[in-house]
Amino acid sequence: MRILRLISITVSFALTLAGCGGGGADAPPPGPPPPPPPPPVMKLEAYQFLNQSSFGATEADAQVVIDMGIEAWIDDQLTKPASLQLPHLQALPRPQFLFQLQPDRVDIWFRNVLHGEDQLRQRVAFALSEIMVVSQLGALTNTPYGLADYYDMLAENAFGNYRDLIEEVTLHPSMGVYLSMLGNEKPNPALNIRPDENYARELMQLFSIGLVALNNDGTQVLDAQNQPIPTYDQAIIEGFAHVYTGWTYAGSPSFQQARQTDSNQVIPMQLYPAFHDTGAKQVLNGEMIPAGQLGDQDLSDALDNVFNHPNVGPFIAIRLIQRLTTSNPSPGYVDRVASVFNNNGTGVRGDIGAVVKAILMDAEARPALHMEIDGKVKEPILRVTQLWRSYDAVSISGRYPLQAAYILFGQGPLQSPSVFNFFSPFHAPPGEIRNASLVAPELQIATEYLNTLFTNFMFFQCFALNQTNTDLQDDDIYIDFAEEMAIADDANALIDMVAEKLLAGQISDTLRTEIAGMLALIPLEDSAVRAAETIYFVVTSPEFAYQM
Amino acid sequence: MKKINRRDFLVKSSAAAAAFAATPGVAYSQVVGGGGNFTDYRALVCVFLFGGNDSFNLLVPSSDAEYNVYAQARQNLAVAQADLLPITPAVPDVVDFGLHPSATGMQTLFQNGAAAFVANVGPLVEPTTKDEFFQGSVTLPPQLFSHNDQQDQWQSLRGNAPSSTGWAGRMADLIRTSVADQQMATNASLFGSNLFQSADETVAYVMGPGGPIQFEGFSLDPNNILFQQREAFRRVVDAQYDSIYERGFADVQKRAIDAAETVTAAIASAPQLNTVFPQSQLGTQLRTVARLIAVRDQLQMQRQIFFVAMGGFDSHDDQIQNQPGLLGGISDGIKAFYDATVELGISDSVTTFTQSDFGRTLTSNGDGTDHAWGGNQIVVGDAVFGQRMYGSYPLLQIDGPEDVGGGRIIPSTSADQFAATLAKWFGVDDADLGVVAPNINNFAARDLGFMV
Repeated sequence: MRILRLISITVSFALTLAGCGGGGADAPPPGPPPPPPPPPVMKLEAYQFLNQSSFGATEADAQVVIDMGIEAWIDDQLTKPASLQLPHLQALPRPQFLFQLQPDRVDIWFRNVLHGEDQLRQRVAFALSEIMVVSQLGALTNTPYGLADYYDMLAENAFGNYRDLIEEVTLHPSMGVYLSMLGNEKPNPALNIRPDENYARELMQLFSIGLVALNNDGTQVLDAQNQPIPTYDQAIIEGFAHVYTGWTYAGSPSFQQARQTDSNQVIPMQLYPAFHDTGAKQVLNGEMIPAGQLGDQDLSDALDNVFNHPNVGPFIAIRLIQRLTTSNPSPGYVDRVASVFNNNGTGVRGDIGAVVKAILMDAEARPALHMEIDGKVKEPILRVTQLWRSYDAVSISGRYPLQAAYILFGQGPLQSPSVFNFFSPFHAPPGEIRNASLVAPELQIATEYLNTLFTNFMFFQCFALNQTNTDLQDDDIYIDFAEEMAIADDANALIDMVAEKLLAGQISDTLRTEIAGMLALIPLEDSAVRAAETIYFVVTSPEFAYQM
Repeated sequence: MKKINRRDFLVKSSAAAAAFAATPGVAYSQVVGGGGNFTDYRALVCVFLFGGNDSFNLLVPSSDAEYNVYAQARQNLAVAQADLLPITPAVPDVVDFGLHPSATGMQTLFQNGAAAFVANVGPLVEPTTKDEFFQGSVTLPPQLFSHNDQQDQWQSLRGNAPSSTGWAGRMADLIRTSVADQQMATNASLFGSNLFQSADETVAYVMGPGGPIQFEGFSLDPNNILFQQREAFRRVVDAQYDSIYERGFADVQKRAIDAAETVTAAIASAPQLNTVFPQSQLGTQLRTVARLIAVRDQLQMQRQIFFVAMGGFDSHDDQIQNQPGLLGGISDGIKAFYDATVELGISDSVTTFTQSDFGRTLTSNGDGTDHAWGGNQIVVGDAVFGQRMYGSYPLLQIDGPEDVGGGRIIPSTSADQFAATLAKWFGVDDADLGVVAPNINNFAARDLGFMV
């Protein structure tokens, strides 16, 4: 916090200088003033920004941001191609049972997020994977290729258009299986069979518009009785359910004989027209899809109808802001970002890249006066990747097959317990947060149990899974603190080094004092223990769990 | 840095949080037991069935006429009449019922008088008929048929008002001064944080499915450096933090350290149970609950509410294939847990019950079912007036008198009535039942009579 105040002072100082620049007795006649140069980026600000936009700030990345400036860094990131998962899985030998590839899917996820140059794209893809959720846990256990391809699709669309994204999400066979649109068929009244409503409901509730009408700033529209207004009713759900009929695995011998194969789990579902309902369908905003259309036209019309609902801008703005920068954005912040969703400046609706840039460039993402509700809890898996990126975590095999991520951290790549994600965007823990009508979604997975597991994971990571261990297994992911060991006899220098790497030097007096107290108990020659102790205390601290 | 005051805090109110408009504090009219202590021990165990259990395939009419209506509605999802496990209620009904063939444990419990069913229960704000539903002349719970909203309804009984507390949480708040000596929170979850146990005054303790786990880096032996480590760690989380998020995180760490040590020490002395629990998610959790109940005296517990859960009930697909495992899983888990309470000699003080998002459509979507409303729930224990069915079992007819479309059955008994009956047994004063079940006064019966 102290440094944050320093930032604000420095920013205003820089602005003052810019404002005074060139002022003098023999100044040239005033023309249009040149735009003020962006204020210099300081290390703590770079860390704050990189913790919002990557898988964990490191000193090396911070230097790049300092050299380039934030906006140029974002613009550069927007051009980086996606690091992919599927080619990696397809290059591996095909195991007898496909679920055996899930650790490799987790492995390539970690490789990409730790080492990929497309940090911002991967971070947004991860955010999207927590909004448009499919999961390994459940019906997709034996579908690692499909899950990898789904994630790749999110990464490739992370800066694309939301309308394209929801179409690719809708037609992806992983989503088709997960929310049972795959194999959904037109009604058969004689058998009391009607279309499956699962995807119809969740696309609206969770992926696009939510349950109640929103103003552009994300606040609820209220009716004359001060009550929120539902965005849809059962008739509309049934309308969409009829839209989503007739689709199954592409290239199947028939609709009824469709079975998952290695190849059809990674290509969009195909329409089998005989199983599509051709009646008229009620959709949003009082619109009807006319009878007699082909299924792909129905789908296109229906997704256009969702896409153009006024809720999508504020809904997606809130979801992405919460994943990237802060749990409790002001209505103004939501409004500014939603407006970019509605129109990116060149008349295009749904430009996700522009939305991401607006989120990260907004004044509220780096407020000059930091308030106690700014920022968010850092997701536990992002705490792990930040540690791993700063301490060059690797395994002897080169792999990161940490399939148990969802058990250890309460979250893992495409490992949600349900379509409702690891935590709810509305989660409000008891106490001051709830009492102030605020939310802290990530605290839903900061239970006593999960926090203890996480703390223990870090204990083993620091004290056992490090480069000094001579008994490492091939897949043990270990950190390297050789630099710390070299100076470990100097407690202050040691604490400074770790604090610089993990906290941009911004360590609280309490944490510094307590670490120093522990180091005083550890012999000077036990340099590995001293390094481990220091890192352990930092990565389990409330300040490291906080994304400012 | 600039400190903001409460007013600033609220001015910069969150759009995302707008759905959680602050609700007035609950008025606690009086403390149960007049502030004194309870003289006995009682525990409620909530088994939450996530996804929406298709409980009209668990408890099925088996008389020919009613079965035929059921079979006509359910078509390819119907359980064969010959496969139903017969049950014989102590008070015979004009209609016979049977259980899903996987529910052998439930059959035994029911026949032995330790289990009851509450038929067609679900969230309601007030009694609701089909006509009233379509005329819009009654207040309905919001967002019917939506998973998380109806989970919230069952867990909070909020009716049409937003609520940030659950009915177990409110019970814990009501009795908090009566159980001040308890060494562990009244509410304990073995399945993560949940609205059911969320409260204004008390905090639920979330442990793992196998119970609390210890901090590996800590020791309670003052001669061990890990004792110093524990002390230092504790001082770090006890420090003052500027951000609400740091404070929220640190609060959990504090509770985790304290509770893990107390509860782990107690549970280590739990007797070995002879009862064999199923090797399942639910079995593991219920075994842990039994072990915790076994050490209730060490922890000075007098009132406990446990939350355990099982997922996978959202059977949009492959319902025929999956239902035996799901319904059998409930049945086997609850049967084992009941047996363990008998082994511990505490079966008359422990009551287990189910809740689930909703029942499911009677109609099929081809190979599964969709979200609906009313369903049947199970209550088990020796304080249950068992071998009976409560509430009113509906006619399972498409477009029948209780179907609002597709076989979505309007509950004939409200979740408030279900909860109030359990709360009264738990020790909540009648005058406070409205705190637990806010809409209870909209219904004629405050007590469904299934608890002795």
